[in-house]
Amino acid sequence: MKYTLIIGDVKESKDIKKGITINHILEEIDLPLETVVVKKNGRIVIEEEEISHGDVIEIIRVIYGG
Amino acid sequence: MKTCTKCGVNEVIIEKKHSGQRLCKDCFIQGTQQKVLKDIRHYKLIDKGDKVMVALSGGKDSVMVLDILNFLYEKNIIDMSTVTIDEGIKGYREDGVKIAKTHAKRLGIEHTVVNFKDSFDTTLDDIMASNSQRGACTYCGVFRRWILNREARKIGASKIATGHNLDDETQAILMNYLEGNIENLTRIGPKTISRSEMFTVKIKPLREIPEREVGLYVIARELEVHLAGCPYSSDSFRGEVGQFIKQLSRNHPTIMYSTLRGFDKLKPAIKYEFAREFNMGECISCGEPAAHEMCRACIFSNELDQNKRSL
Ligand SMILES: [Zn+2]
Ligand SMILES: [Zn+2]
Repeated sequence: MKYTLIIGDVKESKDIKKGITINHILEEIDLPLETVVVKKNGRIVIEEEEISHGDVIEIIRVIYGG
Repeated sequence: MKTCTKCGVNEVIIEKKHSGQRLCKDCFIQGTQQKVLKDIRHYKLIDKGDKVMVALSGGKDSVMVLDILNFLYEKNIIDMSTVTIDEGIKGYREDGVKIAKTHAKRLGIEHTVVNFKDSFDTTLDDIMASNSQRGACTYCGVFRRWILNREARKIGASKIATGHNLDDETQAILMNYLEGNIENLTRIGPKTISRSEMFTVKIKPLREIPEREVGLYVIARELEVHLAGCPYSSDSFRGEVGQFIKQLSRNHPTIMYSTLRGFDKLKPAIKYEFAREFNMGECISCGEPAAHEMCRACIFSNELDQNKRSL
């Protein structure tokens, strides 16, 4: 089970742990939700959104600092 | 699955911690536009027939201002033009200028680019590489204000609209308070009217919109914006204060709103006590309004010239 994570120009394939949400990803990469907008398969989602096999998660930094 | 508290659709894009509101994309876009237009009316930022010059950097804040003011422009309530300032920051400013041009062209709005180089014969990169004594944001702020003001008069603008958001405004309030710059506090607000008629009125339509919601808005509207951070911003005290309030906001989601509300209540009293009444003269060097013999832009410019000669 894998998902694709895109941050800026960096794109990588990652393993999914059971029940993983956007929140978990943000914690892992240490970016506070207050500074980013997250898209799942092209649609904007909130932090509780769960991730499934094959999803493409894009993290867009909208605020620098903070 | 969570649903939009306005329309019931289940594709929520934001959950506002301070109000408990959850919104889908369409309701968020519409709600934000209405809020900004309401603030414009409430604070009387714009009058019918105004010519509004948007300071368009290509970043999320100014692109959002342009997007919303365009409703008023399309309805022939206002005339509009845009100006982009090129400070001369290599590898950073080019993208912003390009994006600003694209938006102005798409909307059919007049657009000018003004360089630090043409106005002050230097760039921010050169200033920061020299043995200059002040922070980047100080030079940049003073030079930018000088250019905006001159440009506004040149094109006959009655208002200058900037992209300052709620985070910027609370940062400015807190920063000036912490530094004891009480006189500067008297000039913070949705609308800045100067003592000199040579200064064009400045307005901040996004003053009550949190910075993250500005980011969310431009992405939801699919507007192209320049999202990179300025390479010089980190060394400023403003940046430190900004991080501090953003951190506080995580556990206290209403803190920026209450900072702003509290300040707005206090402002008449501060203004009464501390606003200095003096007549603005003209700068002996450039003719722009100045509190002293020379305006700050010319003082800085002279300092930099002297530095260059003493090297
Ligand atoms: Zn809705
Ligand atoms: Zn001057």
